[in-house]
Amino acid sequence: MMDPADLILFERSLEHAVATHSGRPLDTALLELGWDHALALDPQTAVATLFRLQGSEHASSSSLDHVLLHHLELKGSPVTGVVLPTLGQWAPPGELEGDELVVRGLGGAALQDQREALVVARNGGAVIAAVVPTAGLALRPIHGMDPELGLREVTGRLRHGSAARQELPPSVWSSSVALCQLAVGHELVGASRTMLELARQHALERTQFDQIIGKFQAVRHRLAETLVAIEAADAMLGAAWEDGSPTTAAVAKALAGRAARTAARHCQQVLAGIGFTTEHEFHRYVRRVLVLDALFGASRSLTKDLGVELLTSQRLPALVPL
Amino acid sequence: MELAEFRLALDSWLDENEHRLTPDRAAATLDEQMAHLATVKRLTYEAGFMRWGWPPRVGGLGGSTLLRAYLGEALTARDLVEPGIYSMTEVLAPTMIDYATPELAAAMVPRLLRGDETWCQGFSEPGTGSNLASLSCRATRTAGGWQVTGQKVWTSLAQFAQRCVLLTRTGAPDSAHKGITALFVDMESPGITVRPIETMHGAAEFSEVFFDDVDVPFDRTLGEEGQGWAVAMDLLPYERSTALWHRAAFLHRRLARLLRAAPPGALDPAAVGEVAQLLYALRARSRNTQRRLAGGERLGPETSIDKVLVATAEQAVFDLVADGLSTDILIEDDPISERWRREFLYSRAATIYGGTAEIQRNIIARRLLDLGPER
Repeated sequence: MMDPADLILFERSLEHAVATHSGRPLDTALLELGWDHALALDPQTAVATLFRLQGSEHASSSSLDHVLLHHLELKGSPVTGVVLPTLGQWAPPGELEGDELVVRGLGGAALQDQREALVVARNGGAVIAAVVPTAGLALRPIHGMDPELGLREVTGRLRHGSAARQELPPSVWSSSVALCQLAVGHELVGASRTMLELARQHALERTQFDQIIGKFQAVRHRLAETLVAIEAADAMLGAAWEDGSPTTAAVAKALAGRAARTAARHCQQVLAGIGFTTEHEFHRYVRRVLVLDALFGASRSLTKDLGVELLTSQRLPALVPL
Repeated sequence: MELAEFRLALDSWLDENEHRLTPDRAAATLDEQMAHLATVKRLTYEAGFMRWGWPPRVGGLGGSTLLRAYLGEALTARDLVEPGIYSMTEVLAPTMIDYATPELAAAMVPRLLRGDETWCQGFSEPGTGSNLASLSCRATRTAGGWQVTGQKVWTSLAQFAQRCVLLTRTGAPDSAHKGITALFVDMESPGITVRPIETMHGAAEFSEVFFDDVDVPFDRTLGEEGQGWAVAMDLLPYERSTALWHRAAFLHRRLARLLRAAPPGALDPAAVGEVAQLLYALRARSRNTQRRLAGGERLGPETSIDKVLVATAEQAVFDLVADGLSTDILIEDDPISERWRREFLYSRAATIYGGTAEIQRNIIARRLLDLGPER
């Protein structure tokens, strides 16, 4: 854990970096201010602070790659990128089929500039980590819902003899997924808070019927509802860090995704016409949270999976003890 | 006493004494529930557990308020108490400790903790629901003390209560929140009439209370004259902290029970998952609040978020019950079905009592989102 003075300094420098940079320049800035070091020292603070800021500032970086590399204890070289699970999934993006490694996943904007990519893959019941040459993978730039995210669709079939590989302990992939779900969860919460703030500002400025629309109870209650959803998700993220189990992380991710959809719906309605134009930045956040909700499991499928698990076991785990 | 140590000691004591603490039958009447609650409070008080988390000057043994949160949770999780009536202590005892004279608090609070007495909370009036500051039940100064005349309604457990924390109008009729004074009134005082009201869920849980020239000594004033609004506002966060944690434990137990009781295929997995997530989020939020309270922080309007979450979760749990056990709720008359039905019907009030869902959202909009006054 960081001491309070270090923490304030760390947060300030992160705030500055994320407010002024995005994409590759943000990667560089994070490297300079020692975010990787903080990640090793105090993962919760490093991840929660950076991803919350990324969400609220609409910035992106390849930090999720670093979170995974760090957790898998595969330091790699700075030129190692990571293939993430494809949208909506949390299964490893690779699979060994005979002597081929079949890859179907997602890459960040930086992946194409990196010489090597880490692919986690299923091998029967086991999970392996393989480092493959990026040149052997097909990278399709994704325009899609959120072009600013610069994602790449990653596909490939490689002879796995060409890959350096190692077997991973059985639980390490599920704990990696949990960690990434928390990171994306914080980013969703950060983005939701900005959407709420944009709508709140608008409600205080926009006048109709000779009064600011923030006086209307219908508007106030939409914004109140949004804050409740955000605070619930944020509290659950905190509880998931404390608990450390994949179940709790998945609950937190689902709540964060749903809170973001709630925020998008209510804030869009409050922002009304201007929020529907590209002259207002609101639409960028809507696009971002829709993609983030699908990353490492969408709220809808995580929720249904939890329900199936509870109905099958007929037990309600006593998560979040006092 | 640390929480971990308390938890261990309490759990093993409950294991040993569960037979003495378990109610006789599933669908107990309210009278039976009240009698049983008094037994549980007396036994837990005598064993010391009920005294932890309360200051020594009111008969407590000191220690963190987390101990109180855990005691209520453990009793609720084992189905030994009905949390609604159990948690009244959490709302009224802190008010006495903060606002009664030290002598009065020292004399009275132990009676409440030990289960010797039931107290009620006289806030709402026929013309005063959500707009609490417009109350009109009048207290007039006389030579010997206050004289109270007026009417209260929705006063939970009034017909069982020996005492009442009563909000009265002591200022001008239009003095709003400035002219309110809180009194601690003996329910046996001449001039008090209690008329229980039967509710939709089949229990006379609350009453109308009529006050006709009721004498109340000056030393029963809670806080100063005109400070009644502060008393009420300080009480509400307690209602939305420890008591709410107990309620969350109740909802958890009932959802767990539903998972076992519902016939295969009766429940939609997506709906089950969403309700469970809501409950976990409620616990996460409420746990943060318990910790802030234990750390000596002053709770305020942010507890309205906890209140919205608990009301939402309660209705969601019992909407699921209505799906999964629809036949039992609609046509079965055995005690277990009757209990599900009663709890389902009671859950309809979760967005009404203790400040409606709309009032909570008004508070959130004004105080947390800083959107300014409504008008």
